[in-house]
Amino acid sequence: MTMFSTMIRPLFKNKKFIIGISIFLLFLLLGILGPTFYKVDPTEMTWDYEQPPSVEHPLGTDTYGRDILAQLLHGIRSSLYIGFLAATISLVLGTIVGSLSAVKRGIVDDTLMAMTNIVLTTPSILIAILIASYLRIRSMEAVAVILGLFQWPWFARAIRAQLMSVTSREYVYLSIMAGYSDLRLVIEDLLPTIATYAFMSFVLFINGGIMGEAGLSLIGLGPTRGISLGLMLQWAVLMEAVRRGLWWWFIPPGVAIVAITASLMVVSTTMDEVFNPRLREE
Amino acid sequence: MFRFLLRRFIFLLVTYIVATTVVFILPRAIPGNPLAQMLSSLSQVAQANPEAIRAAERTLMKEFGVDKPVLVQYGEFLLKALRGDLGTSISYYPRKVIDLIVPVIPWTLILLLPATLVAWILGNTLGALAAYRRNTWIDKGVLTSSLVVSQIPYYWLGMIFIFLFGVRLGWLPVQGAYSQGTIPSLSWGFFVDALKHYVMPFASIVISTMGGWAIGMRVMVVYELGSDYALFSEYLGMRDKRIFKYAFRNSLLPQITGLALNLGTVLGGALITEIVFNYPGTGFLLFKALTTLDYPMIQGIFVILIASVYLANFIVDFLYAWIDPRIRLGQEE
Repeated sequence: MTMFSTMIRPLFKNKKFIIGISIFLLFLLLGILGPTFYKVDPTEMTWDYEQPPSVEHPLGTDTYGRDILAQLLHGIRSSLYIGFLAATISLVLGTIVGSLSAVKRGIVDDTLMAMTNIVLTTPSILIAILIASYLRIRSMEAVAVILGLFQWPWFARAIRAQLMSVTSREYVYLSIMAGYSDLRLVIEDLLPTIATYAFMSFVLFINGGIMGEAGLSLIGLGPTRGISLGLMLQWAVLMEAVRRGLWWWFIPPGVAIVAITASLMVVSTTMDEVFNPRLREE
Repeated sequence: MFRFLLRRFIFLLVTYIVATTVVFILPRAIPGNPLAQMLSSLSQVAQANPEAIRAAERTLMKEFGVDKPVLVQYGEFLLKALRGDLGTSISYYPRKVIDLIVPVIPWTLILLLPATLVAWILGNTLGALAAYRRNTWIDKGVLTSSLVVSQIPYYWLGMIFIFLFGVRLGWLPVQGAYSQGTIPSLSWGFFVDALKHYVMPFASIVISTMGGWAIGMRVMVVYELGSDYALFSEYLGMRDKRIFKYAFRNSLLPQITGLALNLGTVLGGALITEIVFNYPGTGFLLFKALTTLDYPMIQGIFVILIASVYLANFIVDFLYAWIDPRIRLGQEE
């Protein structure tokens, strides 16, 4: 518990961290609670098409008279969902590959690292596009899986390097000599060394998932059902909202994407500044 | 140095073979027979002429070689891909995929290469400057704005630009790579026209990639300035500028590796930017191929893009080996 408070307290003295985490939590709440409180059906078509913001439609409507604010709230929800899901998949894959490599060494290490380097060199968004193009029906989950499958390599490499350097430290030898079980060794000695790094990577993976979804959607390969921030942008592009000056249609989803990903970036970098002794400000 | 490059070359070749294998396996492994899908999309494209559909059907069957064993299909696929034979397009039947891709590649290169390089140079300079002036307003300004700007998708920034400078202010053309009705030529008029179309897509890629480089470079220089050799030089009384120069040069190496690793992401973003701008490059062609489910074309574009990313990786490796004295002199691999 003392460790917890020594770690958390300096974070909340950092102004940037507070701003970042507040913006992120705000959007998280908008995504979770927004659709429950703002009960407008985002798919309902009305005759008020392409209306600028008004009292009735706070963010205006699109070509089919659908309410943009309702779309935005549902979009934030799905984009966060896809981001979290993709990030979880990447984190699990990266941890498995990285720790297996570090623990097993030898041929397992060589094979896994060769595989990791191949995926690392191959542009993940292109493979995601290719795979998505063969799927006629794409659920939110399918999109998250496609994106999560390819963003783990650099994390696996970092975990491997970190674990390898840790397992040769004295305190780990001492724990082994003291007869710690493997599980206790992992939980007490190894996990804490990668915990902050894993958390920061998780944050970046969420960003990767949200950006990836937007990219896939814009190219026409987003989720085939539901509403996401990427799909909103795609509809806006298809309906030439930009060149026809319908700013209330394409600006909100982009602002949401930038606010979520940038606030997460700020959270992750400030954590790095606080926890990483080499970056700590004198 | 030669051994380093040879090893990298072999690695990239193996990676290319793995990637093309994925391209080969995917349509065969995914349930729902993509070949049937291709034929049905074919009949949508060319409704008018049943004779043409049948001809296209025969070509497709032959190209996919469905009657042969899988291994033979695979061998033929690899050989063809190496020879540059990427099959026949469905939506532009009977034109060859390669003949459709080759003309659009220069447009993508003209946009992507200068934008990536300019962003890399500007970003690294800004990042190094921020680290040098650590904890001043310059540092804080660069860091904060880079954090936000690096998260703006290029294509969305492009949309904002189109809306602001194209639609509202009317300063710049809102789409394409040159005005409709003009034919690309080597005249002054065409050059000016193309340049006007170029500004916005170029700027949106440069601005949103720059931030990432600045953040990376800043951390790297801060690390270097805190390392033993920098502290030692400081105790020796060496001028700050000189120490900074060493730190800067040492930090550039990882940024070069980063350039290689980021090429794919930048390419992906640029492809989508092309769609937003209706810019006649590879991304736009890919988009059209995706909307018509023109699988031979999708595969072809994919094979070429992947190959170019690997080739660019190799060029970066070459540069790296040339710049890093440890590799150039063969002391360390």
